[in-house]
Amino acid sequence: MAQTRSGSKLLWDVISYAVLVLLALVCVFPIIWTFLTSIKVEEDIVTREMVYFPTRFTFDWYVRLWSQSGYPVLVMNSLMVTSLTVLICLLTGTIASYAFSRFHFPGRTQLMLGYLVVRMFPAVLMIIPLFIVMRQVGLLDSTHGLAIAYTSFLLPLFVWMLKGFFDAAPKELESAARIDGSTRLGAMFRIVIPIARNGLVATCVFVAIAAWNEYLFALMLTTSQGSRTWPVGLQLMVGEFQLPWGMLAAGGMISILPVIVLFAIVQRVMVAGITAGAVKG
Amino acid sequence: MSRAAYPPPRTIWDGINPIRMIGELSETRYWMYLLLLPSAMLITAVVLYPTVYGMQMSFREMRLNRPDLGTDWVLFKHYARMLADPIFWTSLRNTAVWVTSSIALEFLIGLIAALALNRNLPGTKLLAVLILLPYFLPNVVAGHMWALMLDPRMGVINDLLVKTGLLVGYKAWFADPATAMAAAIIVETWHSFPFFTLLIMAGLKGIPADLYKAADIDGAGALAQLRLITLPMLKTIIAAAVILRVIGLVNSPDLLLILTSGGPGRSTQVLSLYAFQMAYKDFNFGYAGALSVVMFVLLMLFAWAYIRLSKVNQD
Amino acid sequence: MTIRFDRRSMLKLGGGALAASALLPRTAFAQSTSINYWHTFTSQSEQAGLDSVMALFKAAHPDISVTPENIPNPEFMAKITAAVVSGSRPNVTMVSSERFRDLLAMGALVDMTDRVASWERRSDFDNSRFDSISLDGKVYGVPGFAFVDWMYYRKDWFDEAGIAVPTTWAELRDAAIKRSDPAKGRYGFGLRGGPGGQNIIINMMEAFGSPVLHADGSIGLDRDKAIAAVDFFAGLLVKDGAAPPSAANDGFRQIIEGFQTGQTAMIYHHTGSYQDIASKLKPGVEFGTMAIPAGPGARVARLAYAYNTITKEEGADAAWEWIKFWGEPDAAVAFLEKTGYFPASTVAAQDQRIIGNPMYAAAADTLAFGIPQPSFPGAAGWAESSVLPNFQRVLIGEATAEQAVDDMIAGLAEAIA
Repeated sequence: MAQTRSGSKLLWDVISYAVLVLLALVCVFPIIWTFLTSIKVEEDIVTREMVYFPTRFTFDWYVRLWSQSGYPVLVMNSLMVTSLTVLICLLTGTIASYAFSRFHFPGRTQLMLGYLVVRMFPAVLMIIPLFIVMRQVGLLDSTHGLAIAYTSFLLPLFVWMLKGFFDAAPKELESAARIDGSTRLGAMFRIVIPIARNGLVATCVFVAIAAWNEYLFALMLTTSQGSRTWPVGLQLMVGEFQLPWGMLAAGGMISILPVIVLFAIVQRVMVAGITAGAVKG
Repeated sequence: MSRAAYPPPRTIWDGINPIRMIGELSETRYWMYLLLLPSAMLITAVVLYPTVYGMQMSFREMRLNRPDLGTDWVLFKHYARMLADPIFWTSLRNTAVWVTSSIALEFLIGLIAALALNRNLPGTKLLAVLILLPYFLPNVVAGHMWALMLDPRMGVINDLLVKTGLLVGYKAWFADPATAMAAAIIVETWHSFPFFTLLIMAGLKGIPADLYKAADIDGAGALAQLRLITLPMLKTIIAAAVILRVIGLVNSPDLLLILTSGGPGRSTQVLSLYAFQMAYKDFNFGYAGALSVVMFVLLMLFAWAYIRLSKVNQD
Repeated sequence: MTIRFDRRSMLKLGGGALAASALLPRTAFAQSTSINYWHTFTSQSEQAGLDSVMALFKAAHPDISVTPENIPNPEFMAKITAAVVSGSRPNVTMVSSERFRDLLAMGALVDMTDRVASWERRSDFDNSRFDSISLDGKVYGVPGFAFVDWMYYRKDWFDEAGIAVPTTWAELRDAAIKRSDPAKGRYGFGLRGGPGGQNIIINMMEAFGSPVLHADGSIGLDRDKAIAAVDFFAGLLVKDGAAPPSAANDGFRQIIEGFQTGQTAMIYHHTGSYQDIASKLKPGVEFGTMAIPAGPGARVARLAYAYNTITKEEGADAAWEWIKFWGEPDAAVAFLEKTGYFPASTVAAQDQRIIGNPMYAAAADTLAFGIPQPSFPGAAGWAESSVLPNFQRVLIGEATAEQAVDDMIAGLAEAIA
């Protein structure tokens, strides 16, 4: 019996490796190709015969992109919008999600669905009225205004997702703390949130990514270079598909850069969260 | 009120200490509503007016480039037009194909990747980073990367397929209705399946290892464990992920806007794109509003039915 | 009779006084005027052209700083709509003729009749240059530069095969078929069936004798002639095999790259892409330029202008300086040399640097017979959301020319209803 068990484990290990390597290749290939394109000279890109490896290396595309796009400003704007969005979600969404997870009260289901319904109205048509509101309160064309607009559809995502993680956190520890005389507030911050930390980080990552990548709202709610985000800046440069491929590829590569930095940081926190969870388990 | 559970204030500081005050509040029966208040207020402030405004537009004549027509109420004129509009029906069908195929592929690949990664085999941490990478790219970047790779003249995918003998000559993927939608779905899947991987991975960490040990002892195989333990335990997370992703796919025209603009012909025209074009190319905000309301209602129906069927709210 | 000081006349008086006071201290405040300029330039050569005009302007008007905001064509109408609805418009906006009526109807444009009438360079421009930016005797903009339709062809291939430069669409079709060799991946004509192709299709219909609207604003599309046009044009791909199979998704980038890499022998565009082509192929040797051929009904080559318009009362004086500057011959020629776009000013177009260059002869000829694009509210939307997709349906074999034209006519009826 033990023999077959370890035999099947080995089989699944092999399958896992195969699947993961294949997926990783599929995921990374476009990025590698983009990188290769970004260091090719124009003659190697616009050509009749496919050139796989550059005959001549060039960093010209990066230099031109840097000088034309105002990349540092755009990325700073994106970072600003993203962190503001995450912050607002953390402050208001965590407690809401906790309430949905831990309490059964009249109107709970309806309210939860209400949060979801908010996300459902098409952005295409919310933009014009939102534009008018933002202008009235003086938040148009500002990173703050954009972050608040993002919150409107990312907060429900945050709440719904986090509720799943709160649900998964065992209720016994909390009850124990309550018996020991802790208030609900104390139990929430000292027991439940630390246990669900793992999920909290994952949820924040999702919201951050969604805010970082968002295009339609950012396009419509910002006008000047001073508040434009990176995806919009890049797309506007691409314009009617007229940007040279090499420069476009360079743009793709440097939009991965901040993401990798963020990922390196988050990965640490996530691993820490996971090990903490393992101790608990 | 259950305030008695809390010791009475002893000093003046206790009387004004904000944490203590909130702590006391947390013992009242309004506590959950207080917790919900900030987020509910924020959402209402930002969403309510635009949504109501958008909905009332659908019952008005509203063509920005035709001020001569005025902005009178027209009741259900736009909805009536929609029923007779073949482009609407095409878009509806395409939306169904676009959303169901993308969701199915994304969920399946996302689940497989998460299960494989959750085995914590040595060296898979790096693979995890690589697999999650596409999700971190903006739609705009992902769209253009694939547009380059699928280009009918200098696309590397064409070249690879021709060199390996799978294809006779370069193919114009986005100029053929038979492949345009499929190519767009592949790009979308590539970009978004890590959403499911990330969520499911996080969910898997929350399943107690004892359950699997018990199942092992009972002699349940890997597939049985998946069916009997993993999927049921992940129910809430999967349900939330599917609903959120469906909403995203139905409402966001970004990727198709970059890859095909709905073409060739109307073969990749979806509702969100149609509403976008109606509003910002034809300036017919009334009709665009009606299209949006229909999308909204369809999403509501879907969410309601899905939550009913998956019984996620009965925990 | 008593003088009635009603609200309206008070406002008028007050407005006049305000306008006068705005003029007076102009020199004192001029130091700090800054305006923003929304434009639709995107290609590298266009960007370079704008940079050189801005550098010249800066030297001439150190007191005005211009902040350009690049809004590419696909996003342009969405952005300007949002800006108009919410009242956050730019000072100066570049408006192409097909968008004029939509923007005017939205109330985005400021009346410039008086400014234009008293402009010292007004006589440099033919009256017709202002046709596509005027309505009911009011002028709303000044042409910055011209879009002159023409074609590029592979001179070396034509010479080698002894093919004459076509002057009619029928001749072009013959030449395209002769130069096509699908087995080698060569095609005679780079058909633009993707983004931006809609205008060429409309031109074809008009060349076959079927204008979009009659002068009185009623539908001018003649079903039979329009069908013949669509059948002929799509036929270049579906019947003759003389266009790349990717045509249904080929936009600007694709037709240019197809021509640059030697996939296609002829493409239809305007002079604005001249420098892009010349950067890859040798002018006069590898490629030549030719005027748009004549159709059975008419010879249709568009002569359109990019107009600069004032879109905000605030800072209008500084905006006017910037708009006028595009009419200076030095600025116009500097722009041409970086891009290939023709000057809108008749005087600037006579500059030796232009008439001395044989490659520009086809464009100079076109100035004589080129006609403006059809312009009515909803024109751009109809072209993009009805003409183009219906034409694509013919290209991919999903519809016949008859079905496509019927849908286009129905779409037009809806747009002007």
